[in-house]
Amino acid sequence: MPLYNSYPLIIILLLFISAFAIPLFKSIRVAQIISLSATGLSLVLSVLTFIGVKADGPYYFRVGHFAAPWGIEFHIGIIEGLMALLFMIVSMAVLWFSIYSIEHDLTKKKLPLFYTLVNLLIGALLGIVFSDDLFNCFVFIEISSIASCGIVVVKDRKENIKAALKYLILSSLGSGLVLMGIALIYSLTGHLNMASSHEVLAAIYPEHSRNMLIAIGLFTVGLGVKSAMFPLHTWLPDAHTYAPAASSALLSALVLKAYVILYIKIIYRVFGMGIVSELPVLNIVLLLGAVGMIAGSVLAIMQKNLKRMVAYSSVAQIGYVFFGIGLGTSMGLAAAIFQIFNHAFTKAALFLSAGSIIEKTGKKNIADLKGIGKEMPFTMAIFAIGGMSLVGIPLLSGFNSKWNFAVAVIEAQRVELLAVVLISSLLNALYYFPVIINGYFGEESLEGKVFRKKERPIKELLPIMVLILGVVYLGLSGGGLLSLIEAGIPALG
Amino acid sequence: MGNLLVNYYETGAIVLFGVGFVTLLAHGNLIKKIIGMNIMDTAVFLFFIAKGYITGKEAPIIQSAKSASAYVNPIPTALMLTGIVVAVSITAFALALTIRVYEEYGTIDLNEILKMGG
Repeated sequence: MPLYNSYPLIIILLLFISAFAIPLFKSIRVAQIISLSATGLSLVLSVLTFIGVKADGPYYFRVGHFAAPWGIEFHIGIIEGLMALLFMIVSMAVLWFSIYSIEHDLTKKKLPLFYTLVNLLIGALLGIVFSDDLFNCFVFIEISSIASCGIVVVKDRKENIKAALKYLILSSLGSGLVLMGIALIYSLTGHLNMASSHEVLAAIYPEHSRNMLIAIGLFTVGLGVKSAMFPLHTWLPDAHTYAPAASSALLSALVLKAYVILYIKIIYRVFGMGIVSELPVLNIVLLLGAVGMIAGSVLAIMQKNLKRMVAYSSVAQIGYVFFGIGLGTSMGLAAAIFQIFNHAFTKAALFLSAGSIIEKTGKKNIADLKGIGKEMPFTMAIFAIGGMSLVGIPLLSGFNSKWNFAVAVIEAQRVELLAVVLISSLLNALYYFPVIINGYFGEESLEGKVFRKKERPIKELLPIMVLILGVVYLGLSGGGLLSLIEAGIPALG
Repeated sequence: MGNLLVNYYETGAIVLFGVGFVTLLAHGNLIKKIIGMNIMDTAVFLFFIAKGYITGKEAPIIQSAKSASAYVNPIPTALMLTGIVVAVSITAFALALTIRVYEEYGTIDLNEILKMGG
């Protein structure tokens, strides 16, 4: 067994152990050093894992050294490796940024706790991505929902407590439904291991199709609540708006995505396309995704608060992901996974820059932010690039993502859905461009503003620039990532 | 219909699940919501454990050298032990947040809190 095989487990253990080591030290500096070095080390390990998987192909890792149907296994393929890489890069950038900004949002006592929760959260999310055992995934889901409510409520204000409670209630509703779905699968197959239960399910399919329909419906709604699929997104705007900027970036860029990955794994690894394509579930997912793409954008246009607008835009972007999954083709799935990358980089950058703008100017409303481009030219430039990426301007990752969706729609011979992609892009333009245009142009709004008066030092903007670099890189050479994803998809099913 | 009566554990579990689900969604009172959440979780525990029980088989405590088929399936029970721990911690967290909400807003009715805006 090559050495890199055990890295995924080491990453999770490293993050969990470092999370519980942080509260032992009172000092904020030490908490930041521990948290960052654990994530940094995990980043290195996930790079090595990815290189290994890319060279040798997917593998199973027996966590307790027991073989498949009894012991818990990890399944690491190219998709899982890529996801680990993405999660670690984004969380590294967000943690790096938090060093400069988090003291603005939290009291001194709460600071080490924030880093504990973040490390716990990232570890649990990676657990969801890696694990090949349904019940194990459920435990990681619960850890991540407690931790993600924690990083909302760690900023001890009225609105945060309300938002976190709303989030906690809906997300425990979601986990209840997921657990019931797992119970149905277990009662049908006697297995919790994804690969073993897939074998049994495939063998008994036509007989118990109603049971399977109910199970997959429970997973769809349960994970849909947690990943803010359109009509189930009601908790998201509050939680993402009131949380500290670093938390919002993590919640939107990573937390939603881990549940989507689990959903993809359940469709492709547990049920398999053979069963799912016979059931009507994917059409509903496609419909909800398409409605979400439009409705999320329409809701975002109506918002006055900058962060709330960005939060609603997440609903639309997650709609794209479900749209791709709902197409049910491998190109659709590849487009959805590419969109996960696009959205993770872009939305993290948007939330961090929007957080910076709010922190430095003290203004939350879009209408008050006229002329901000002169006072904070670089932060605003980052926000502009992020916004343009989501609108789908060429050379940025959003364009490639939309292109992939267009190709997938045409390949699936459902050309009428192309209209949804185009309308959604136009709607994106309707809410990002006014912020950008008002920020940079207009005689009145620029009058009396001093150039770079409120700008952060360049050093503090570096982490967001790393994320924007990801956006631009995926925009310039998105084909490489796409072909990697396409190569990884067969290993899923 | 007959199947529902034969599998009365499962039927009961699903009914309980529905009761919990509706309580969680329909009530504005946070404490009732948390109770609903617990009922829902308990329903799943019942469902799981009923799946592991085999009529006429012994509890899986091995004293003499009997074959594995002499015992009920212990895995669901073990899983639900974990499930209970998870449910307890979520409940504790939710109750703690409810206390803070009461301190800040002076009410535990979610509808009233949402009406207050801010």
